[in-house]
Amino acid sequence: MGDGAEIVNMSEGEEKKLPEDRISDEQVEKNELVGSDEASDSDNEEEIFEEAIGSQEAPKTEPFEVDGLHEDLRLEATPENFKDEHEVVDDLEEVSSNESGVKDSKTYHSIVGESHGEVNVQDITTGEAERDLVTPKMNDDKGEAGEEISHGQIDSSLDVVENSEKATCSGSNLAGEDVNMQNGNTHSFPENGIISVSALSEETRNDSIEDINWEEKADVSAGMETEEEIGGGEGTNKNCSENGFVCINNVSGEQRNGETGAGYSSVKMASGDKSLNDSLEILNVGTSSPLEKSSPEEKGEIEGHSSSGFPGVTCREHETVQNSNVRHDVQQSPQRNKDLEKQQGSRVNIGPEITVSPHVEREFEVVSSDSRTESVSSLPPARPAGLGRAAPLLGPTPRVTQQPRVNGNVSHDQHQQVEDSTAETDEHDETREKLQLIRVKFLRLAHRLGQTPHNVVVAQVLYRLGLAEQLRGRSGSRVGAFSFDRASAMAEQLEAAGQDPLDFSCTIMVLGKSGVGKSTTINSIFDEVKMSTDAFQMGTKRVQNVEGFVQGIKVRVIDTPGLLPSWSDQHKNEKILRSVRAFIKKNPPDIVLYLDRLDTQSRDSGDMPLLRTIIDVFGPSIWFNAIVGLTHAASAPPDGPNGTASSYDMFVTQRSHVIQQAIRQAAGDVRLMNPVSLVENHSACRTNRAGQRVLPNGQVWKPHLLLLSFASKILAEANALLKSQDNTAGRPFAARSKAPPLPFLLSSLLQSRPQAKLPEEQYGDGEDEDGLDESSDSDEESEYDQLPPFKRLTKAEMAKLSKSQKKQYLDEMDYREKLFMKKQMKEERKRRKMLKKFAAEIKDLPNGHSENVEEERSEPASVPVPMPDLSLPASFDSDNPTHRYRSLDSSNQWLVRAVLETHGWDHDVGYEGVSAERLFVIKEKIPISFSGQVTKDKKDATVQLEMASSVKHGKGRSTSLGFDMQNVGKELAYTVRSDTRFKNFRNNKAAAGLSVTLLGDSVSAGLKVEDKLIANKWFRMVMSGGAMTSRGDVAYGGSLEAQLRDKDYPLGQCLSTLGLSVMDWHGDLAIGGNIQSQVPIGRSSNLIARANLNNRGAGQVSIRVNSSEQLQLAMVALVPLFKKLLGYYSSQQMQYGQR
Amino acid sequence: MAAFQMSREWIGIQQFPPATQTKLLEILGKYKEEDVSSLTVLVMGKGGVGKSSTVNSVIGEKAAAVSTFQSEGLRPSLVSRSRSGFTLNIIDTPGLIEGGYVNDQAVNLIKGFLLNKTIDVLLYVDRLDVYRVDDLDRQVVTAITDAFGKEIWKKSALVLSHAQFSPPDGLNYDLFVSRRSDALLKVICAGAQLKKQDLQGSSIPVILVENSGRCHKNESDEKILPDGTSWIPNFVKTITEISFNGNKPIHVDKKLVEGPNPNEKGKRLIPLIVAFQYLLLMKPLVRAIKSDVARESKQAWEMRDSGLASRKT
Repeated sequence: MGDGAEIVNMSEGEEKKLPEDRISDEQVEKNELVGSDEASDSDNEEEIFEEAIGSQEAPKTEPFEVDGLHEDLRLEATPENFKDEHEVVDDLEEVSSNESGVKDSKTYHSIVGESHGEVNVQDITTGEAERDLVTPKMNDDKGEAGEEISHGQIDSSLDVVENSEKATCSGSNLAGEDVNMQNGNTHSFPENGIISVSALSEETRNDSIEDINWEEKADVSAGMETEEEIGGGEGTNKNCSENGFVCINNVSGEQRNGETGAGYSSVKMASGDKSLNDSLEILNVGTSSPLEKSSPEEKGEIEGHSSSGFPGVTCREHETVQNSNVRHDVQQSPQRNKDLEKQQGSRVNIGPEITVSPHVEREFEVVSSDSRTESVSSLPPARPAGLGRAAPLLGPTPRVTQQPRVNGNVSHDQHQQVEDSTAETDEHDETREKLQLIRVKFLRLAHRLGQTPHNVVVAQVLYRLGLAEQLRGRSGSRVGAFSFDRASAMAEQLEAAGQDPLDFSCTIMVLGKSGVGKSTTINSIFDEVKMSTDAFQMGTKRVQNVEGFVQGIKVRVIDTPGLLPSWSDQHKNEKILRSVRAFIKKNPPDIVLYLDRLDTQSRDSGDMPLLRTIIDVFGPSIWFNAIVGLTHAASAPPDGPNGTASSYDMFVTQRSHVIQQAIRQAAGDVRLMNPVSLVENHSACRTNRAGQRVLPNGQVWKPHLLLLSFASKILAEANALLKSQDNTAGRPFAARSKAPPLPFLLSSLLQSRPQAKLPEEQYGDGEDEDGLDESSDSDEESEYDQLPPFKRLTKAEMAKLSKSQKKQYLDEMDYREKLFMKKQMKEERKRRKMLKKFAAEIKDLPNGHSENVEEERSEPASVPVPMPDLSLPASFDSDNPTHRYRSLDSSNQWLVRAVLETHGWDHDVGYEGVSAERLFVIKEKIPISFSGQVTKDKKDATVQLEMASSVKHGKGRSTSLGFDMQNVGKELAYTVRSDTRFKNFRNNKAAAGLSVTLLGDSVSAGLKVEDKLIANKWFRMVMSGGAMTSRGDVAYGGSLEAQLRDKDYPLGQCLSTLGLSVMDWHGDLAIGGNIQSQVPIGRSSNLIARANLNNRGAGQVSIRVNSSEQLQLAMVALVPLFKKLLGYYSSQQMQYGQR
Repeated sequence: MAAFQMSREWIGIQQFPPATQTKLLEILGKYKEEDVSSLTVLVMGKGGVGKSSTVNSVIGEKAAAVSTFQSEGLRPSLVSRSRSGFTLNIIDTPGLIEGGYVNDQAVNLIKGFLLNKTIDVLLYVDRLDVYRVDDLDRQVVTAITDAFGKEIWKKSALVLSHAQFSPPDGLNYDLFVSRRSDALLKVICAGAQLKKQDLQGSSIPVILVENSGRCHKNESDEKILPDGTSWIPNFVKTITEISFNGNKPIHVDKKLVEGPNPNEKGKRLIPLIVAFQYLLLMKPLVRAIKSDVARESKQAWEMRDSGLASRKT
């Protein structure tokens, strides 16, 4: 029991040391989680547990109650869970062995958050589950996508944790064999978050289980018998999500598909914003795969669950989807899901098997949704489904608030995003090697302290190291290389050999009230009188360094003068602590040991002033890495209320609780849970045969104390190692290798870019692209002129007209307008031809419209202006920067203007950068366009530079060359691309391109082929395919885009596009499709419908109506309508916008 | 001495082993001899040092609520037990320290509780097995002194709880006890602003107490201290000695409770001071001024001013 308590404490201890980022990131999360947890299903949990237990042959664990407050939970849970120490140990062993299989896990213990701790507990308790648990982890190596970036890491790790839990539960079920939770209950197993599991037995098909990832599993090293089990799955369904992770529907869908990668998307709350932004995106998740493959009923169910209309989310979602396609995953954010689930109150039904986790892990990508995301999404119609391109809408719809880039590159925002998600680290043997060394070191330490790996603390640390390693590890096959067993063997060997000095030293700083025994404790640690002590005098007057060896381990202890409890003495304390701070500046301690007496009863919060002062001086973070030491541990517990002595353990527990509570209160951080170690310095203390002091509960305190200290040092070391790894990843030319975000590069390659054109050709797009048009419409030449004269009516006159007259008038007007426009276009064309013919002085035409090129492709009718205004916002908010600032049009050939960030803070000045563009002409033949943009927001600066040039050689053949430089996450990506187009037939244009990208230290090369088919004036189709390779890693992608235009294009506003894209990377196939249609309704309204779907089952529907009339009120009626619709197709969400 | 009504029969005394009972009854007999029918003991000290436990130990029953981890609240409680015509009143008080401060509220509550009572003995309780004295101790002592006057220390004893304890560093138990009590007594002297001569002849006695159920017992089943003495009889005996030590018991009256009235303070000195000012300050000043004026010619306005000034004075 004592040990049990330690375990718990230990885990908590770790939390403390989590690096700040965790704190910051997690905090939010956590809070949310906590909040939600409480609400959610404690009942269910218990249920689950009970079932699980029932299924286990020898239930060892008792269900433990999960509180909203985890801390409490742990503490309380401890005794129950750890009743049987041995058992626990056994389990741990299992774990460790599994781990060994896993092996190259990355230690990122910082990740270990609360959830972590809990998870651990849980894992330990459910012994059987362990194997399964391991499985998922291993799979994650697939990691392909893996891209978790440093930001994302924490989160992702959480995911893993979750998964592991998930696994755990399933494991237990499996063990139980045939435990079917078919009863449709929703079980949640949440630690931090929610896990909702529901099994709909009827629908479940066992087959679906499908071994989700067979292959992967196979890779997985030994001990994974899981396959059978899983396969046999016995219809147990469980999804557990932790931290809000939702495995939900996707999982099931996925499983069904078997082949597809993970249907499950992991969430990444990458950058601190996690909460809200991400959450919106969750929606997608719900819709997952079922659409594709699963049986209808399921579909229905799932959909029902996942989407409860969240109108208005669309935009963002777009983005999401997009990204996800690129990266092959869907992002979802946990909390949201959770909410979602709750809201719906419906059960999520999941496919029968819970094999769950493996997939999840493996897919895992972090897409960060930071503010950037939003900005991207603000480009409304852009590639809705992430399928490469979607034809831009005609007319007013695309309110592009940011200027398109010259070369049509994806905006930097997106890049960044992608990169965030892609920064996943590659396998790094070096790192793992180091981790392994750390593990060995720790085992040696434990050995010297006389602790076996079975010791709870040791086990915890090993588990954590392993877990962290797995989180960062990628390939399952390599997992086996460094195992715990090996580490253990190595450690023993080294210890036995007695050579190879242990490279470890630990610095412990001792803090505490005066007279609690700080110096004495130090003496006890070293087993010799290092410090003079006096019972009645303030023994230590100044900060001192004490160094020595304990079992050959170098230990350095910083002794500090005692602190005074009185409030009036706090200035003295402050002085003391400041001197301590100055002292430790150079050589900070690895761990802080806060000593207090076990046998005092600080019930009068007498320590509060002192604790406050400590925090004032050192900051609350000092407690993240602190152990509470209780001296005089051999003293007898006070008499209980009934006069008999209370139990020692109870006494210790209570006393620890009091101190921990005081610390929490003083630090204002409820998560703090400092491990407690007992200390007894009295010479009369009972000793064991080896002369070690033994506490009344049989514990030998010194090794335990040291082990705790060393453990935190070890974990800090591992953390630092992994962290430094991250850092190097961030540097552009780090030695570390990194997988480039192939899908992203590929999709950017596949994008067809307009070629740079000479200024005089700027408006020749129509010819170039719409070659057919020209020839076809020579007939109606002078139609407009032939019309009788027409007089526009004034408004007053209009008012007099009857309804039918008015209608006629307007129709007539429209007709004439159309004809007029046609005429104009024709004239324009003619003029251009003329100009071409006399290609002499065309230079008077304005320069710098390169930025319009892309738009022009689809809307050649637009009239270029020298300095196009930014599109106006939909609102008339006078604070909108667009209204407030205009760009100046200078005669300078450089077109320079501010970059507007539309999604900044409310009413903030949204200009965050500068862009410059210019079109050069070399030898009057070769155009070179240049555009650059630098933006800097509060977080980071991005640079984007593009140069493009094209050369025409021969008729219908041209080659363009381009160079891009842009920020992809923290690195700069340099891309050189070239692209040649042939126009072999009238209706067919082909293009082939090459690109080379240098991102960080990796070079990727890509090849693409594109074919554009113009069937007639209205229909055209673009197909492209390409491959991108880097370091033996290849991603293939293709896209198909068809466009159907209005008959009297470009005048008509009808437009339908269909896009499909396929991306294959690491065997993950991502298919997405979108369809979009724009139809004018009446004279002044426009309806735009858009739907997209990917093979994960994520999709969305959006319907948007633009109206220039006051239709708003009427449109409101559509809301319930669509809601109803959503009821049927719940997997889709709609966006309903109106302008 | 105020009479306390609701006193129950001292049944707890029968819980004690016969040897202890005998000694106690013997001591109580002394009160009879002196014709003292009741004794009031006030127990004070920091929180968690064992005040209530001590009361319980002495009474022999669980009269005061004790909880290890919670403080009892702020109200003092009176335990009174009578045995053959003699009433022992023990007033248990809450810990005086709250969050690093002396809790003035608690002190005031105690004072109010004691109104119109007479304190025969003050027991200041602290732990033996704490090594340091700090400012808090001094503050507590000061608070007690402020509340009841320093005279109360002449009717007081220092109680050291947790006396069953083996000193660290191989110190001799007696030595440890004496050093610990010396340290505390020093604090008391400092806090009470007692001078050596104030305590002369009546130094504050030290009582060792062990309340734990684990307290060692001697062959006659008495609870004994490490030095072999049975502490309960010793405790009662010391109290008795204090009550008969010749110093006046402290009667807590309204005046004491409310503290000195600042309006009353030094009232009688007022005429004296006025006279002093008039004779020693004003007179010479006026004289000096006048001579100064006589010596020097001045501007008209200055003369007027000085005239005014002197008149004001």
